[in-house]
Amino acid sequence: MKYLSKLMAMLMLMALVFPAVSFADVSLVGSGASFPAPLYTTWFKTFSRENSGVQVSYQSKGSGAGIRDFQNHVVDFGASDAAMTPEEISKVAEGVQLLPMTAGEIVLTYNLEGVSDLKLPRDVYAGIFLGQITKWDDPAIVKANPGVKLPSENIVVVARADSSGTNFNFTQHLCAISKTFKDKVGFGKTVEWPLSQNLIKAPKNDGVAAAIKQTPGAIGYVEFGYAQMAKLPMASLQNKAGKFVAPGLKSGQAALANAVLPENMIVFITDPDGDGSYPMVTYTWMLFYKTYQDKEKVEWIHKLIDYCLYKGQAISDKAGYIPMPETVVKKVAAAAKNIK
Amino acid sequence: MTARQVDNELRKPSFEKNPYERRALQSYVLSTLTVGMAILACFPLFSVILMLLYRGGQRLALTVFYSLPPTAFEDGGGFGNAILGTLFMVGLAGLISIPFGILAAIFLAELGPHRKLSQAARFCAKTLTGLPSILAGVFAYASVVLVMGHYSAWAGGIALSLLMIPIVMLTAEEAIKMVPRGMKEAAYGMGCTPAQAMMKVSLPVAMPGIITGVFLAVARAAGETAPLLFTALFSDYWLEVNQPTASLAVLIYNYSGSPFANLIELAWSASLVLVLLVLVLNIASRLIGQRNK
Repeated sequence: MKYLSKLMAMLMLMALVFPAVSFADVSLVGSGASFPAPLYTTWFKTFSRENSGVQVSYQSKGSGAGIRDFQNHVVDFGASDAAMTPEEISKVAEGVQLLPMTAGEIVLTYNLEGVSDLKLPRDVYAGIFLGQITKWDDPAIVKANPGVKLPSENIVVVARADSSGTNFNFTQHLCAISKTFKDKVGFGKTVEWPLSQNLIKAPKNDGVAAAIKQTPGAIGYVEFGYAQMAKLPMASLQNKAGKFVAPGLKSGQAALANAVLPENMIVFITDPDGDGSYPMVTYTWMLFYKTYQDKEKVEWIHKLIDYCLYKGQAISDKAGYIPMPETVVKKVAAAAKNIK
Repeated sequence: MTARQVDNELRKPSFEKNPYERRALQSYVLSTLTVGMAILACFPLFSVILMLLYRGGQRLALTVFYSLPPTAFEDGGGFGNAILGTLFMVGLAGLISIPFGILAAIFLAELGPHRKLSQAARFCAKTLTGLPSILAGVFAYASVVLVMGHYSAWAGGIALSLLMIPIVMLTAEEAIKMVPRGMKEAAYGMGCTPAQAMMKVSLPVAMPGIITGVFLAVARAAGETAPLLFTALFSDYWLEVNQPTASLAVLIYNYSGSPFANLIELAWSASLVLVLLVLVLNIASRLIGQRNK
């Protein structure tokens, strides 16, 4: 008996002591897209540090899981880079305000020893993800990359395993550039990849980047920042104008300039015009309810949005994201007033 | 005539050891096999610990115990909040499951071992031990997270307690059953009430066994990832019980799949800390069990 009561006393003590470790008065919890997660967590940590009385946390789970959490009201805000469909929005009784917070490029990154500069024409990368091009020394790839020594290895495609906004944007772009892809696969947060073998599925941007890093001969799609941080090489892609463009701040901004934000703040850039435009770029959204019960929370939400829109944009570039153009920031700030 | 032939003729068994005889060979081969398998059984644990010491030890410094996890762009950082979160949630799960499990075990072992109810309870507990842990998480998500409206340490603790209850209950039942009948009868013979016999005789004698079960359950709960993914989620901040809460298991899961070197190193160190934590608990349970014998 002595031991049991000692054990119980120990556990009680633990239960009493630990809840006392508590700092912030208001806590905001968000979850969703992994695409902007490195940037968001940096923003939120800095914001929480600079403002006493608030603590913002963010969990990267993928856009699909974020939307589900948001619909279930288990978080204060969500995040998705596939925005939300009208059907998903209709399930939220308080109404939804979507706000683009940053933009990023989806890059094709690969693991090929000795190859650091790969050019991929439009039909080629569509062909790879259709399963039509299966070898790295396929004549179509060799033709586009004179002077590059390509191994006779199988191409291993790394795709997203979870419901993903990155997947949504990537497949939307492939549908825009390839009719076969549109007919055979279509687009969405999850799709049925037409590859029977040499397909690896990994969760979140982190998982895809890690899988590519570990698999020789792999190719996959992640946000620019992830490839940069993981030191993975990124392919230059052929844009609508026929030029090969490497991903980067300038080419991303050029592509972003093609989009005009409508009233509901949802726009997808499936295949941008312009010589210097990188072909795959997307805004990524935070999801807020239109009304919150807790007035204190609303106040902090507005402060947080302001921080992200102004101070936050300044570090976007360093983290591998594209700062939003000033006109867009103004529009978003105006739309944020709908959150009450 | 050789010695063997003489033996055969006299129909006397030979007592000389002949290593080439079939029976001797068989015995030799099978004995070696069992020894080999016993060594092989230790091999995974030792190789895991060696690997953890090698990979996790590099990053292990005092700072990781009191720092918060880094963001993807930061260097350094630690997982103090995850250690605290694991301790809190496992502690909470213990607070729920230990009284629950022991009381149920007393009923099963002493009060009504052959009743329909105990048979049903025993069957349920055995089924529950084989329950995939992710289902415990889904259950707690539906019954706690959705009702409370947010992820919390409470929900994590409740999910873990679901996994601990059957272990505590079944081992405690066995331990109480092992108490010699004579001791109980002596207690009754001296005029003890059933409650006194239970509190003063059966439980103290069974205590080492019960504590072993408790520590086994605690060790299992500390290493579970799946139930926490749905209930406690993760957090980059210090423990707040009504908010998403970090735990070592989820930290390892999250960071090991990350492409960032700093986070991967932290995952290795966190694994080492978790394994050491469980090892210490296991050794503690052994010591307590031995001292009471």
